[in-house]
Amino acid sequence: MSARLRSFTGMRGIATVPSYLIMQPTTLCNLDCAYCYLPHRGLDRRMSIAVAEATAATANQWAAEAQRFSIVWHGGEPLAAGRDHLAALMAPFVGVEHHVQTNATLVDDAWCEFFLAHGVRVGISVDGPALRTAQRVDRGGRPAYDRIHRGIEALRRHDIPFAALCVVSQPEPGLAGELYDYFCALGCYALGINVEEQEGVNKRSNAHATDSVRQFWAELTQAWRADPRIEVREVEWAVRYAGAWLADGADDLLPRYIDPIPSIGCDGRVVLLSPELAGFADERYGDFASGSVLDTPLSDIVSAAADSPAGWIAEYLVGVEACRSSCPYFGFCGGGHAANRFFEHGRFDGTQTNHCRNSKIGLLEGVLDHVRDHA
Amino acid sequence: MSEITPDELAHRLNALAPRLSALVAEAEATWIARHEGGVGDGRPGWRPFEDAFPTFYQFTNRPPR
Repeated sequence: MSARLRSFTGMRGIATVPSYLIMQPTTLCNLDCAYCYLPHRGLDRRMSIAVAEATAATANQWAAEAQRFSIVWHGGEPLAAGRDHLAALMAPFVGVEHHVQTNATLVDDAWCEFFLAHGVRVGISVDGPALRTAQRVDRGGRPAYDRIHRGIEALRRHDIPFAALCVVSQPEPGLAGELYDYFCALGCYALGINVEEQEGVNKRSNAHATDSVRQFWAELTQAWRADPRIEVREVEWAVRYAGAWLADGADDLLPRYIDPIPSIGCDGRVVLLSPELAGFADERYGDFASGSVLDTPLSDIVSAAADSPAGWIAEYLVGVEACRSSCPYFGFCGGGHAANRFFEHGRFDGTQTNHCRNSKIGLLEGVLDHVRDHA
Repeated sequence: MSEITPDELAHRLNALAPRLSALVAEAEATWIARHEGGVGDGRPGWRPFEDAFPTFYQFTNRPPR
């Protein structure tokens, strides 16, 4: 039976066409959250229209050949680029879905009208009730919670649906139920939990006690099961995996190839696989960029990495294969993320990270703990 | 976190299979009810997760049947 946990065939190599792009309209963020990984969030380096046009030249072709193709405006804080500039950056794209991941502090009626006019799908970032969101502060150290909620109220006034991402710094017993109730009341239609990661300029340890992590996820599973009115990304993913396992179809769940997830920096440089690597450099690996859309078509940049992986990307693929051959959770996880490997291990060919333990292994085990304890 | 072998994880999954089946059945009922309620922007549904969270891998909660 254990052969089923040793023979996963997905996530082998990099896809030549992604399902979405991440665009950085500005490096600037108006907040200064304690756990943020971004290195240049105090600087307002804005993406030029030329970068957007060069990106769109490939993205529009990909979108024309796909059922759906997404452009994700990420930051910094993408709304800090301003409506006029963001509209100008969006203008070259045709046939795509636009998404924005925002801290919501700048959202007002004018931004809501912008979202509606441009068909932008909205994800907001908030970590729960005010005390749980206390690490989201501005540069003066002032809590951002009230401003976040004013933004959310604007979204509600305009009937704009939103998903929510919640950073959990200390996954521990007693927290999940409080968070679940909060997000159900908030009005989001979906919730994703990001256990704080040690990456980028955030050097805080993300090592947590196994039992606490598992209990957090078990309690979140319990809360969702009792009242599944919103989507909970992690729990539903784990339950879906469990269902596939029971049906002997777990190997069908992973994508066949790793999505390259191109991140286009404000200067046009392209970082693949892990957006969190953008803006960093390392003596051994260089700046992690695979090229620039200003001098090479994005399709060529992605194809080159997929067809002839080199440097850190080749090392990462070795790491994925090491995960496949050594970790029984591979079919659920697909291999540790590149940025987590680098920022935790200093290289890409290692295997299990704290992020794996907190957000993959602990998650699946927590769901199983819930099942064990509840008939 | 303690290391676990494929055999141990498989054993745990199999040992919990009856209860796990109940959870999966409840979840699938939820997903189907959402779908029948209309899938679209701003509503829970079955979807690849990047629908709501684009910075995530391509996992789905779509039921297998």
